Amino acid sequence: MPFAVPFAEADRQLTICNACRYCEGYCAVFPALEWQADLTAGDITHLADLCHDCRDCYTACMYAPPHEFALNLPAALSAVRHHTYDEYLPRLPWPAGRRGAMLAAALAAVLLLAVLGVIVGGAGAPAGSPYRVIAYPALLVAFGLPAAWSVIVMAWSAARYWRATNGPGWGGLASPAALTRALRQAATLRNLRGGGADCSYPGDEPSGARRRLHHLIAWGFVACAASTVAAAISQDFAGDPPPYPAASAPVLFGVIGGAGLVIGCAGLLVLRRTAASGDTPAREDPTLARRGYALLAALLVLAVSGLLTLVVRNTAAFGPVLYVHLVAVAACFAIAPYTKFMHVIYRFLALVRHNSELRPR
Amino acid sequence: MSTQLPPDGAPWDVVVIGGGNAGLVAAITAREKASRVLLLERAPAELRGGNTRHTRNVRCVHDSGDQYTPGAYPYDELWQDLCAVGDGPADEELASFTVRESASVPVWMTVHGIRWQPPLTGTLHLGRTNRFFLGGGKALVNSYHRTAAAAGVTVWYDRTAEGLEFTGNRCTAVLVAGGDSGDSGELGRIAARAVVCASGGFEANIDWLRRYWGSAADNFLIRGPATNDGRMLAALYALGAAPAGQERGFHSVAIDARSPRFDGGIATRLDCIPFSIVVNSRGERFYDEGEELWPKRYAIWGRNIAGQPGQIAYSIWDAKVNHLFLPPMYGPARAGTVTGVAAELGLDQDAIAATVATYNKAVVAGSFDPSRLDGCRTDGLTPPKSNWAQPIDTPPFYGIAMRPGITFTYLGVRVTADGRVRTVEGGAFRNVFAAGEIMSGNILSSGYLGGFGLTIGTVWGRTAGAAAAREAVEP
Repeated sequence: MPFAVPFAEADRQLTICNACRYCEGYCAVFPALEWQADLTAGDITHLADLCHDCRDCYTACMYAPPHEFALNLPAALSAVRHHTYDEYLPRLPWPAGRRGAMLAAALAAVLLLAVLGVIVGGAGAPAGSPYRVIAYPALLVAFGLPAAWSVIVMAWSAARYWRATNGPGWGGLASPAALTRALRQAATLRNLRGGGADCSYPGDEPSGARRRLHHLIAWGFVACAASTVAAAISQDFAGDPPPYPAASAPVLFGVIGGAGLVIGCAGLLVLRRTAASGDTPAREDPTLARRGYALLAALLVLAVSGLLTLVVRNTAAFGPVLYVHLVAVAACFAIAPYTKFMHVIYRFLALVRHNSELRPR
Repeated sequence: MSTQLPPDGAPWDVVVIGGGNAGLVAAITAREKASRVLLLERAPAELRGGNTRHTRNVRCVHDSGDQYTPGAYPYDELWQDLCAVGDGPADEELASFTVRESASVPVWMTVHGIRWQPPLTGTLHLGRTNRFFLGGGKALVNSYHRTAAAAGVTVWYDRTAEGLEFTGNRCTAVLVAGGDSGDSGELGRIAARAVVCASGGFEANIDWLRRYWGSAADNFLIRGPATNDGRMLAALYALGAAPAGQERGFHSVAIDARSPRFDGGIATRLDCIPFSIVVNSRGERFYDEGEELWPKRYAIWGRNIAGQPGQIAYSIWDAKVNHLFLPPMYGPARAGTVTGVAAELGLDQDAIAATVATYNKAVVAGSFDPSRLDGCRTDGLTPPKSNWAQPIDTPPFYGIAMRPGITFTYLGVRVTADGRVRTVEGGAFRNVFAAGEIMSGNILSSGYLGGFGLTIGTVWGRTAGAAAAREAVEP
């Protein structure tokens, strides 16, 4: 699809929305739309990421198909997200599409882990310690390199996105008030509340399931990060190397976070399938929908393999299971900027711009 | 003839014809007393709700403000507002009942699943008097369907009520096309103990409009679905129902001349008029654009335009006031000069230039304020512009062609105080009731007050639904 197409269609639909405004109470997209005199491609991108995909505007729309205006804003905005997610990725010096770059990054990360694992090994670490598979410094390198790559690509993409949607300058990123409000709205998923009506997802009936499951994933992710930080503190500052007992901070955070991820991802996968089989016409860009499945599946693999290492850590399976988990983590680090994971960054940036534009009604 | 009965084989207690606001409210209310309630919706599920899909707020009496309507709107004020539009209320007793009953409507709606939102931006002056429901009319229809389903109301889609079967003064069945009878042409017979007709006006029936408007009706655009053809209303007249309302009575507004013939709804409506001048195809002004606050006057403009040659008019404004109103969905014509706009709209450039020059010269300097009657007016101009008059002098200039957009017709059936349909002989049908637009002519004469159609539908849906259930359960 040529680049102009999703913008032209979103512009057509948003112009009708701006002449109607019935959906103003559902989320931030509609007030934000009304503040724009003329929509630029950057504005449309901003609105597309401000959309949290609750789909209430679709079920409330008297112009939805089969009406001749054929409004399907969730689909139109997700098509814009699909195209801009790809557009803002950095151009690589060698000719490779998004998939090529992703595959190369994942392969490099896995190979690095394998090579380091073979060269350095994990001799000398106690039973149940992850360092039996690969020694600590090698593990740092094996995770640190792909993570650094990821951070660079994400920052690059985010900077290009910010320039396209905000122009030059820091804008709302320099406003503590806008940042604080954006952070709060992201943390509470305020734009998935539908102004109190919850989401029309899956299907047309209002449900808070999507928001709750997403909270489990997001906060589960945070808990897993906390588990890693707690382990680092225990090891490097308290001088207490792994393995940690069941009642320790790293294990508790890890178990809670892992459980949240498993339940959240499994739940959202089920909702996704229900929505895909029931929604006619589809309310999401098909490519973005596939990437949604992929992200959930990847997080599920990470969470399940992580929890398994804990379950089997006193058995012979510990080594292989841990190895699978480490490979999965390294690969995910390497490919994150090419996946739907980027919605975290773009949506947050959209919220920052939105909160710096807020004006009294 | 196929007979369509509830699962237990007995007749339906109450059959409601029409799935808009009035019909849904009637069905939900009837179900409180009656156990077998059926609602017939002519549209398929995805287009259900008729004209209600295009509504967004309801005008109700409230003695104090709250988070959605920031100020009181007492009975006397709504009554005066109603008296000030068109020829005032048609039947004072029924109109006063409607206004009185409106006070309990918001709570009733909330209890039955409706959510609210603050007044929409760009809807000047409506915030205090009208409550906006979250997501607009289709969301309201969806909510009422959920409430109705939970209460055990049966809904059949794709069913068109064609007539009623009577034994003496009592209706025994509704005759329907669609559904099981399919395309066979054979009508289905739905036995009923009581019937509520909430099937709307006849605004989509151009032939019927032509009877009162002649060929002008060919230039009317209809804001709601093409299914509002007055079929049930015609059937009621044929059975001897007494008419109510003026033949030419309707709620109509100025809409974009490029709108679809049917079902364009709110997005095609134009709110630029009070900040512009409006000319006809000869380039002449013909009505005071700044007569009153927009919510009290927007509904006369469909009629104003219907009275102009070719049923078309043009609104012209400049850069100073652009963005003071909802942007037109098809976009306005735009040019660096007024004559440029006239050329784009296909108008006589000299005539437009002269009209604008005369108007500009007549504008008296004042303090422009779009939020109130600001007294910025013209002096010595006929017709005058009484408020928001500013010279049209700042490029770019804008213009748009407008046609009458008919929302709903008022000519309907006369009803008693409990919503029973009266007959030309002076009595009333025993068990046939009416609610909503089909009986709006009992209350409205020629003018309209924004959000009052929903008030009529809700008040009379409750009244007729309750009375029909009583009739069915204890005849």
